[in-house]
Parts: sequence; structure tokens; C-alpha cells
Amino acid sequence: MMNDSQFVEVENLYFSRGDKEIFRGVDMHIPRGKITAIMGPSGSGKTTLLKLIGGQLYPDTGRVQIDGLDVHRLKRRELFRLRRRMGMLFQSGALFSDLSVFENVAFPMRVHTDLPEAMIRDVVLMKLEAVGLRGARNLMPAELSGGMLRRVALARAIALDPELILYDEPFVGQDPISMGVLVELIKKVNQALGLTAVIVSHDIKETMSIADYVYVLSDGKVMAHGTPANLNVDRDARVSQFMHGEPDGPVPFHYPAPDYYSDILNEGARP
Amino acid sequence: MIKQRIASLGKSTLDTFESLGRATIFLCQASIGIPGKEGFHLWLRQMHFIGVMSLAIVLVSGLFIGMVLGLQGYTILVDFGAEDALGQMVSLSLLRELAPVVAALLFAGRAGSALTAEIGLMKATEQLSSMEMIGVDPLRRVVAPRLWAGFVSLPLLTIGFSVVGIWGGYLVGVDWLGVNEGSYWSNMQASVSFIDDVGNGLLKALVFALVVTWIAVFQGYDLVPTSEGISRATTRTVVYSSLAVLGLDFVLTTLMFGEL
Ligand SMILES: Nc1ncnc2c1ncn2[C@@H]1O[C@H](COP(=O)(O)OP(=O)(O)OP(=O)(O)O)[C@@H](O)[C@H]1O
Ligand SMILES: [Mg+2]
Repeated sequence: MMNDSQFVEVENLYFSRGDKEIFRGVDMHIPRGKITAIMGPSGSGKTTLLKLIGGQLYPDTGRVQIDGLDVHRLKRRELFRLRRRMGMLFQSGALFSDLSVFENVAFPMRVHTDLPEAMIRDVVLMKLEAVGLRGARNLMPAELSGGMLRRVALARAIALDPELILYDEPFVGQDPISMGVLVELIKKVNQALGLTAVIVSHDIKETMSIADYVYVLSDGKVMAHGTPANLNVDRDARVSQFMHGEPDGPVPFHYPAPDYYSDILNEGARP
Repeated sequence: MIKQRIASLGKSTLDTFESLGRATIFLCQASIGIPGKEGFHLWLRQMHFIGVMSLAIVLVSGLFIGMVLGLQGYTILVDFGAEDALGQMVSLSLLRELAPVVAALLFAGRAGSALTAEIGLMKATEQLSSMEMIGVDPLRRVVAPRLWAGFVSLPLLTIGFSVVGIWGGYLVGVDWLGVNEGSYWSNMQASVSFIDDVGNGLLKALVFALVVTWIAVFQGYDLVPTSEGISRATTRTVVYSSLAVLGLDFVLTTLMFGEL
């Protein structure tokens, strides 16, 4: 079954939080060595999907395979060993608040390799230079802006040159210049090292420019998938609404709620 | 109505057992830290934050409690003309009861709450998740050193508490109220048994250390990752560990000193 050209296989995934069904049968194939983008409205479960792939959440049914390993059946140790081959950029950055920028980026190398200090220093400065923050190496995370924080987190995620990188919203909070730099960086990292990347992003233009393949999630399912070129000309109303950012259309902008006017007029009711 | 009550009672019982089960699995997984020099360094760092930083409050409290014991003991004993036994009274109360219990209560308030809040904040800001994704088990790297540091510090703090307390009793009894210095020490030496009193007191301290630190790190690790969740868990740490310490103290005292 397992196709050698697929690095991550998501099969028939169901997941719910409480009563809320977040995924109702998601299938996804993430090809080895390519950049795959996952898009979808806010709250459609993109972050949740990345956490399922990383083995931090367990699905109700269905499975996720990474390089032939069933993530949710691994023993704790094996799961941690598998995670050494992955990098993840968290939506919130999630830097270690008690370590400086330098130490944050050095952390994966310190715990997983025996590299000499001089080598670690070189690699850290190289990664920080790539995200334009070499000069900020002695700052603590609390002293960084939101955009800087994510760039440091990005540097940390690629510190060990993992085989699979999961980027959760890498472009949020970046000015146009650093946005361009990050797009180039993600592309370069992918091409130079041949690693597999998954990008979750709302920035359609940037994401389309680097993605090899795109999945669009909506309503707990994969709504559409294809190459960026194919999706751009997709005539399905929902796909084109999303691709062209139109507010009105079949894809709901709102979290499920009762009718707006009756909600507003219903003053005496509880909130 | 009644059916509903029974159902909710059943549910809360199940929930309690479930979280006890989780806490036990958690303790097993977190008891093994990172081996070698690195693990030792992590532990040493926590010894500083947990043990050394609690030293001041524990020693000062020990001094005051010893002084109060000296004063109270003297006023009672002097009525029977038995003020020479002050040393015995102060040292036995401290070694058997007051040092382990009061040090554990102070420790829960000073170090336990800080542990819960710290681990909880790391969880709320996804630092624990990102550590997992880097391939490092936070149970071994974050929780285990803290667990062991707490387990080792509290007994040491308890010893410090006793020593300072006995000295406080001496200050008040001998220096201030005029109890004979020789009889203060010799009565103490004659009546304190190393195994029964010092040993049992330390055993209590070890049990309290395990329970308080376990509660603190588990509450931090298991909390709902919001600011409200952190504040609740911190409160729970102090309440649960204080109750656990006092309850266990009764049980242990019955077992240790019951038939004396
Ligand atoms: N810890 C949680 N507990 C309960 N529900 C949650 C939790 N985290 C997320 N959810 C719910 O899961 C759904 C998917 O959340 P998720 O964070 O995956 O969305 P997302 O697609 O990443 O959105 P965004 O683009 O805004 O980051 C949301 O409806 C949210 O309400
Ligand atoms: Mg998200």
C-alpha cells in the first residue's frame, strides 16, 4: 500500500473535541521532498491536523503514517525518536522563555548531538543569519517582537535539518521584506536538503508561489486538492471563493451561530 | 432527581480515580530523568530554585517555632518544677512532629505553588509541546529534575528546621529564662533516640516530600492551559498538599509512635 514517494499519509482521519467534530474523514498524501500547503478557513483545524501528524493528539479513528511508521501506535520512546526527524514551527512560536535566542536555536543540537561548542555556535549563527536575527542572539524571548519570535522559532525548527518540517503560519506578523526572505528561505531549505515541508498558511499568494501541492480543508474534510495552477482555475464555487478571498460564498466565514438578527434582538437572553 | 444525584456521584468518583490513575502513570514516567552529567546539572539547578530558595523561610520559621516552644514549654514545666526537661520537650516535639509537618506546609506554599505555576505556564505557552516536537520528553527533562529536587530538598530543609528550632528553644529557655544549660542538653541527649525520633521524623519528611512535590508537578502538568487554569491549579496544589501532609502525618504518627 505504502507508496515510496509519499512521506506522510493521512488516512480516513476522524477527530473531535468534546461534541465538536473537527475532522470527518480526512485523507491526505504528502509527497517526499516537496512542499505541501494546507489551507482552510480559520478554525477549520489546520493546527489540529499538524498536532495529529506530530503525535501530540490522538485521532478517534483513522491513522497517520510517517515514512511507513504509524505515529499513533508507536511506543513513547519510538515516538520521541521519530520526532527528532521532524521540526515544527508553532503558531505561537513557543520559544523556551528561560533561554536566550542563541540557546533556543542551539537547544536541539545540544540535546541530540555531540557537536563541539564551536560547531554549534557556527550553525546557530548561520541559522539566525538566515532569518536576519544574528544580531539578536543575546536577547531573551520576552524582549522580541511577535514577528521576530516566529523567525527565531523558525531557525530553531530547521536547526537540525530535519526530514520533515511542519510550519504553522510562518508568515504571520512579518513585514513585506521579511516575508519575502522567509518565502525564499523555506524554498531554499526544501530544495537544498530535499526535505519534506508542510505549510499551513492564510497568505495565499506567498503559499501558492512555493507550494508544489495544496490541500484545502473545510468543514472537517478535504474540500479540494491539487497543484496551485490547477486550484487557481478550479471552477468549484467554494474553491474559487477561498482562492480569491471573497467574503460571500458557500464557505462560511462565521463560527456556527444562531441567526444574527434574532441573536441581537434577543436582548433578555443569556449571552 | 435521586437518580441524577447518584449518577453525578458516580461520575465524580470515576473522575477522581481516573485522575489518580493518571497521576500514578505520570509519577512512573517522570521518575526517570536524563542520565549523566546533563541530568545532574538540571537537577542541581532545581535544587537551587526549590531547595536553596526555600531555605530562608524554613529556617526563620524554625527559629520562631523553637523559641515559642521554649517559652510555652517553660511556663508549663516550671509549674511542676520540671523545667530541666525543657530540652527534651523542645527536641522531641520538633523532631517527631513540628519540623516535618511545618516544613512541609511551608514548602508546599513556597516551592510547590511555584512549581505548579512554572510548569503550567510552560504548558500554556506550548513550551512543553514544542519540546516534545524537538524530540525531548518534557517528563524527563522538565518534570523529573524538579521531582527529584523536591524529594531531596524537603528532608534537608526539615533537618535545618529542627536544628534551628532546638537552638531557638535554647535561646529562650537557657539564655533568657535561666534553665540550666547542662540539663537542657543532657536531658535531650538522654531521651532522643536516633532511630525512633530522628529516623522516624526523617521518614515522615521523605513521605511528605514525595507527596507535596508529586502533587505540585502533576497539577502543573495536568492543568487546563489558561490563566484561570493556572491560578486554580496553584491553589489546588497548596490545598491538596496541606491536607495530604496533615492527614498522612496522623497515619504515620499512629504507625510510628502509636504503641509507645
Ligand atoms: N484545546 C482546545 N480545546 C477545545 N477546542 C479546541 C482546542 N483547540 C482548538 N479547538 C477547536 O478546534 C477547532 C480547530 O482549531 P485549530 O486551532 O486547529 O484551527 P486552525 O485551522 O489552526 O485555525 P487558525 O487558522 O485560526 O489557526 C476550532 O474550532 C477550535 O475551536
Ligand atoms: Mg492554527
